[in-house]
Amino acid sequence: MKKLISMLLALVLVLGCAAFAEAGEQADGKLTIWCWDKTFNIAAMEKAKEMYQADHPDVEIDIEEVLSEDIESRVIASNGDTSTLPDILLVQDHSIQKFVTNYPEVYHDITDEFDFSDFMPAKLGLSVVDGRNYGVPFDSGTVVAAWRTDYLEQAGYTVADLTDIDWDRFLEIGRDVKEKTGMPMLSGQAGAVDTVLIMLQSCGGSMFNEDGTANLAGNEKLKAVIDTYNTMVAEGIFIEVNSWDEYIGTLSNGSVVGTINGCWILSTIMSLADQAGKWDITNMPAMVGVDGATNYSNNGGSTWAVVNNKDIDLALDFLQMYRNVDFYDAILPATSAIATFTPAKDAPNYTAASDFFNGTPIFATIVEFGDSVPAEVTSPFYYDARGNVGTAVTNALNGGDLDSELQTAQDTTEFTMGF
Amino acid sequence: MRQSSGRKLTMHKKQQLIGWFFLIPATALIFWLSFYPMIRALMISFQGGRPTALQWSDPLTRNYQFLMKDTVFKTSLKNTFTYLIIQVPIMLVLAMIFATLLNDHQLKFKGVFRTCIFLPCATALVAYSLIFRTMFAYDGMINSVLMKIGILNEPINWLNNPGTAKAVIIIALIWRWTGYNMIFYLSSMQSIDYAIYEAARIDGAGAATQLFKITIPLLKPIILVTAIMSTNGTLQLFDESVNLTKGGPANATITMSHYIYNTMFQNNPNFGYAAAMSFVILILVAVLSAIQMKVGDKRE
Repeated sequence: MKKLISMLLALVLVLGCAAFAEAGEQADGKLTIWCWDKTFNIAAMEKAKEMYQADHPDVEIDIEEVLSEDIESRVIASNGDTSTLPDILLVQDHSIQKFVTNYPEVYHDITDEFDFSDFMPAKLGLSVVDGRNYGVPFDSGTVVAAWRTDYLEQAGYTVADLTDIDWDRFLEIGRDVKEKTGMPMLSGQAGAVDTVLIMLQSCGGSMFNEDGTANLAGNEKLKAVIDTYNTMVAEGIFIEVNSWDEYIGTLSNGSVVGTINGCWILSTIMSLADQAGKWDITNMPAMVGVDGATNYSNNGGSTWAVVNNKDIDLALDFLQMYRNVDFYDAILPATSAIATFTPAKDAPNYTAASDFFNGTPIFATIVEFGDSVPAEVTSPFYYDARGNVGTAVTNALNGGDLDSELQTAQDTTEFTMGF
Repeated sequence: MRQSSGRKLTMHKKQQLIGWFFLIPATALIFWLSFYPMIRALMISFQGGRPTALQWSDPLTRNYQFLMKDTVFKTSLKNTFTYLIIQVPIMLVLAMIFATLLNDHQLKFKGVFRTCIFLPCATALVAYSLIFRTMFAYDGMINSVLMKIGILNEPINWLNNPGTAKAVIIIALIWRWTGYNMIFYLSSMQSIDYAIYEAARIDGAGAATQLFKITIPLLKPIILVTAIMSTNGTLQLFDESVNLTKGGPANATITMSHYIYNTMFQNNPNFGYAAAMSFVILILVAVLSAIQMKVGDKRE
């Protein structure tokens, strides 16, 4: 009996100590960082760590690979208790609004503690909630169209033929290429609507109105985009696959002519060493018969957030690296991460020619594209609306009436917003 | 005598007290880890607002009222019941057939067959879902085999068509769970005295008569158990929907649990609504199990 009681007491003591140890984890001179993508965000952070530690050798920096979905799940599971979270975490640009609105306890308001001058205004706007800044902008998702020049050549085209065109001309070329080579021009994940939203932003459209209400039903721009997209899919010019891996697979095994996506996709393309010299980039086709149509858009990109109740001063000091032109210059060749910090544009690597892309100075080109991207309206309900648009696109593709499908998407999104 | 009953406990009482003492940790853990979360979830299902600042809904049943108007929830309910109605009977009949075949005394290599059929149950849910997704991909194994042997002229996009995507999930479920149910049947078949079958055979009963007149009536309790377990499992189906089809195309394969997950982790997090939906599943499981018990259990 005595033994049992003493054992129980010991157990309570041990548990108590463990609880104590966890509580006091604030300014400990150590940084933990969560981000995803080894060839991109992690590679960039490793470089930042190396450069920062050169001046601050006693600061310990721990970069952990955590997938974007997992970071989001863990923040939700933390339910506002930051003790299980890192000092700095990466957030998808379109998730910031949702997470800051729902978990203000987690995300530190850095408005007065960080210098936000010289960042691209459109990018910076995504991490501003109620006029306060919640993130240090990182990469731009400026859209590029990357094409396999060898395949185009087989069909008698060059990248110049695909530059500054509209989707009507693109469909003509696509049909011709498909006939001559049997290959689809593009690929993408079914129901994920990346391409649809890229096209929508290229003509200044959005799923939301300025006042934050959903803008799906009767959205003429969205309708025109979905019509064009579904024509491509129906004619086999755009092949829909079921997962992200399959999408990357279509690029790596060369079963499509090219892709239209955020410029971060170039880090994946450049990792396919056997395809060096076979690629070139240009701008995307513009929508036809739509006001404000351009050849430029944006997809993806992410932002660093600082977590509350952690070593905030150290985290902010470390993130000064993201105002350092030399840093952006150093990470560019390997990651193709295009800075949203404008002074970085003059760094030497930005104007260098890329061997992989037949000597095209791709980074200078992308930066130039970036200047013409129309601004976008986002919302905390971005992913809700996105999922509903995906359903509408798929149903319309299978023969549903687009107007009523978009009405359903509108109703479903308003239903969620109505809580 | 007086002394022992007054101050000191009797031997019996003492033993009883020690017994209760040993039960305390387990009871406390069950309350803390099982009952408390259930009660909290019930409370949350009547709440709404930001996850870290939940407030009582006005009116209190607001989340449940929204449920009636939610088209995606209705779709997920319909999908789940489609799986239930098609998959559970096929699986249980198959399990019964396999068990009967394996129970044959003349069968050689019984252990090998038994292992082969049971092995799918040992695979992780996520792992087998991913393998099925790869197999049924557009350029996957199933398409290339069917094209090689001339059944198909061009590949089917299995996972991108509402009908075939549901079929793939049902096939996957049958593959994964048939062996599991078979083991239940087989083990209780082995407890049926073989002499009963011999006597029946002497009386001229064929294989079918033996199955329907002897095996199935004697297995009734275990069939009931497997039916309830399968119903329960199918209503809570999650891994296959998430990993195999991601609920797509256009929510055609999304299950209730998957939609609850999306409400919490994919969309703008709504804890109260997610909790309300999980209570609907709880009620459905309870009702269906009660019906099955009433129908299946005719013991006096």
